[in-house]
Amino acid sequence: MAAGAVGMSGSGGEDGSVLDVFVRKRFSATAGSPAATQETRFALDVRFALPAGVTILFGSSGAGKTTTLGAIAGLVAPDEGRIRLNDRVLYDSKAGIDVDVSRRSVGYVFQELALFPHLSVERNIGYGLRRLAKPERQRRTGEILESFRIGALRRRLAAELSGGERQRVALARALVTRPALLLLDEPLAALDAPIKGRLIDDLRAWNRARAIPILYVTHSREEVLALGERVLVLEAGRLLADGLPQEVLGAPRSETVAQLAGFENIFDAQVVALHEDSGTMTCRLVPPEPAAGRGVDLEAPLARLDSGAAVRVGIRAGDILLATEEPRGLSARNVLRGAVAGIEERDCQVLARVDCGITFSVLLTPGARRALGLVPGLPVWLIVKTHSCHLLRPAER
Amino acid sequence: MNWEALALTLRLSLFTAAALLVLGLPLAYWIAFSQRRWKFVLQAATSLPLVMPPTVLGFYLLVAFGSSSPLGRLWTAWTGHTLAFTFAGLVVGSILYSLPFAVQPLVNSFLAIDPKLIDASRVLGASRLATFFRVILPLSASGAATAVALSFAHTFGEFGVVLMVGGDIPGVTRTVSIGVFDLVEAGNYAAANTTSLVLLGVSFAILVMVYGWNRGAWPRAPWA
Amino acid sequence: MRSSQVLPENGPPRRARRALLSAAVLLLAWSAGGRSRAGYWGAGTAPLQAFFPTPGAGAARQATAKGAPAGELTISAAADLQFALRAVAEGFERKSGARVRLVLGSSGNLTEQIEHGAPYDLFFSADVEHPERLEREGLIVADSLFVYAEGHLVVFVPKGSPLDFGKQGLAALAEASVRKIAIANPRFAPYGRAAVEALEHAGLYPKLEPRLVLGEDVSQTTQFVVSGNAQAALTAESLMFAPGAQDRGRYWVVPPADYRPLAQAAAIVARSGKQPLARAFLAYLEAPAGQAVLARYGFARPEARR
Repeated sequence: MAAGAVGMSGSGGEDGSVLDVFVRKRFSATAGSPAATQETRFALDVRFALPAGVTILFGSSGAGKTTTLGAIAGLVAPDEGRIRLNDRVLYDSKAGIDVDVSRRSVGYVFQELALFPHLSVERNIGYGLRRLAKPERQRRTGEILESFRIGALRRRLAAELSGGERQRVALARALVTRPALLLLDEPLAALDAPIKGRLIDDLRAWNRARAIPILYVTHSREEVLALGERVLVLEAGRLLADGLPQEVLGAPRSETVAQLAGFENIFDAQVVALHEDSGTMTCRLVPPEPAAGRGVDLEAPLARLDSGAAVRVGIRAGDILLATEEPRGLSARNVLRGAVAGIEERDCQVLARVDCGITFSVLLTPGARRALGLVPGLPVWLIVKTHSCHLLRPAER
Repeated sequence: MNWEALALTLRLSLFTAAALLVLGLPLAYWIAFSQRRWKFVLQAATSLPLVMPPTVLGFYLLVAFGSSSPLGRLWTAWTGHTLAFTFAGLVVGSILYSLPFAVQPLVNSFLAIDPKLIDASRVLGASRLATFFRVILPLSASGAATAVALSFAHTFGEFGVVLMVGGDIPGVTRTVSIGVFDLVEAGNYAAANTTSLVLLGVSFAILVMVYGWNRGAWPRAPWA
Repeated sequence: MRSSQVLPENGPPRRARRALLSAAVLLLAWSAGGRSRAGYWGAGTAPLQAFFPTPGAGAARQATAKGAPAGELTISAAADLQFALRAVAEGFERKSGARVRLVLGSSGNLTEQIEHGAPYDLFFSADVEHPERLEREGLIVADSLFVYAEGHLVVFVPKGSPLDFGKQGLAALAEASVRKIAIANPRFAPYGRAAVEALEHAGLYPKLEPRLVLGEDVSQTTQFVVSGNAQAALTAESLMFAPGAQDRGRYWVVPPADYRPLAQAAAIVARSGKQPLARAFLAYLEAPAGQAVLARYGFARPEARR
């Protein structure tokens, strides 16, 4: 899969897409603007198409997510590219088209929300309706205040709102202008899960009638899985993957995506034997430092590789079983003997580090930890299913 | 106490402060938000009166107002008299002289505005001009007040420029500071002292106001 | 470009701090400007020098604060002496081997400086009143005060001016084309007082008063015409002999009978440590060589010694 061409099937619009984006922008250290310094290390180069409905743009911070949104909204000038929304070309470097920000009909909810601190909730929401006659403006403002359940707040200033209320106001302010596209930049990052869920439900309900594309930016794996919509994975300015969250994050084919998706165990390995009859191959995991251990052999799903090939193997900490006695009669091909090297408590999870010649991270519940009486030094067995061993394309250096 | 001079000085300060607010807003906007690489040159030029002796400014103004400069000839042809020795001439001089005192606070308060608010306004369909009046200006109220107060105070105590281009005409160009100068020159120390005290008092009161404002000593809008 | 990840937070405390800081910087700069404004004292002739370049004047002004070493004489002089006294000083330097520094200003201003202990050896005023004031205060050497010259009032007009003083006398100033007439401030400048007297003598004062603009001293008064802002100036004849002045305009000598004589007095400053050298300078000035130089710059020989 070539980076930068993800999701671009044919020319824009023929597949029913509503928004086509192609943006290239290089950041140089000498750009003069102090804001550019953090993003100087990469060039943004993305190409994708969106249908109506929610699409997630997922990536770590600094990956270029906000810059991508800025280019679509017209706040950031690309070096080259083309952006089409419905039948309007918003930007085309070749044709010299660059529609002004104020005329792009794009709704944008900023990460910082950017509510106007000197205006009441009502006037914040009415801000984008300046061109309408006053009665119409009031009608639409009232309507959206109702549907977002913030009518009681209409006279308050932004400083007098809770986090969830501010989020609602920001969303309402963007939607009341009836945009043809909605850009959401980590709009829910600061919210509790229940509030988040209700807000997303509100948004989905609102969009059922409108059917506009919504590009939802996040760096949170949990949010991606919770939303469950198509996800574009952006890293260092390039799109690395495109698909449903389960496909992209559950079985990542690139190490970067694996890291983003939360693969705690990623190892260098070498193919030592192919077993075509059983559909597996043996990979020898190489310790990070040669002196650290003897290495561990794992059965992984068969791939088109030659014996001796170098691969990377990723295993989720939550996909590994832990036993205090040697297990028998299992379908799992990999049973590794080791000892607990360390235990870390995180919120309501326990992360055990187990040394089997190579150190694995294993995730379990506090209850399981108590039942097994895990303490450092305890001999244990790790059980890893063949299909929990994901072969990864190494990260581009 | 020379009330005529005091009234004249107040009038001059008021005119200058008002004109500087009108001129300073677009200038400060450009300095704060322009992406031009050479904008620092304009920034430096705006700050020149901070370090330049007022006599130098006054001297060049006198030359510019005079019949040997095209500008002066144009003005004279248009109005029938030179800008020197007139109230309008003093206003022009004071505007240049107090320019940094209006522009700097404005630039600072513009730069203190979260740029996302400006982006938000633009995305919501507002033009740059509408954004200026609906977001930037209301959020810069404190900076604008500082700009007005400082340019008023600076003009109130102005001396060198007025001395150079004013011609010391009672009721037209004899400001309080010139009056003090005349009194000292004439050896009338008692009168000079009285007038100086008034000048000192007014200037101090304005600065107390500005500093108090910047420290939040007086109630104001929660966002300012 | 602006990127959300990069922008610092601009909370109210930060903004307040920034505003306060900027105000402080401005005020600092303002006080610096104030200092340079104070530096104007004694610098009243600077603009004129831009037109009539006289190298060395600035250096002379700076050196005064330090106090003159042996063989050096510091002379404070009224602005109308700018060129005449420099010429006299050059002759004196050649003859005596001593060095002379000139500090120029208005008579009132210099008097004040002497009252506050300025390190001058000699004081040349443009009038008699200021040295007499110092004499009463005991700040000048008793019996050293004498009238060294008499100044003359002239009308100075730009080169192309159509005014014909030869025919009309001062009445030519009543022409409509003369919109502004510069005079030195009569409240403290001797030539300003003389100008008012001359206008009153000609019966022109009530009519021309609205056209008057006041210069701090004769130098600035002259300069209002040179820069093209005033159409005529009543000023000191001595300034008409400045290098380049002839190219800038022409002048007409106001009849001396029309105003009280502009007697100019000099004296030795009491706290001067170089009284013998100062006396030598005065002697040189009174001798024919010195008087000839003064005459060349339009200073009539004083009719009577005091």
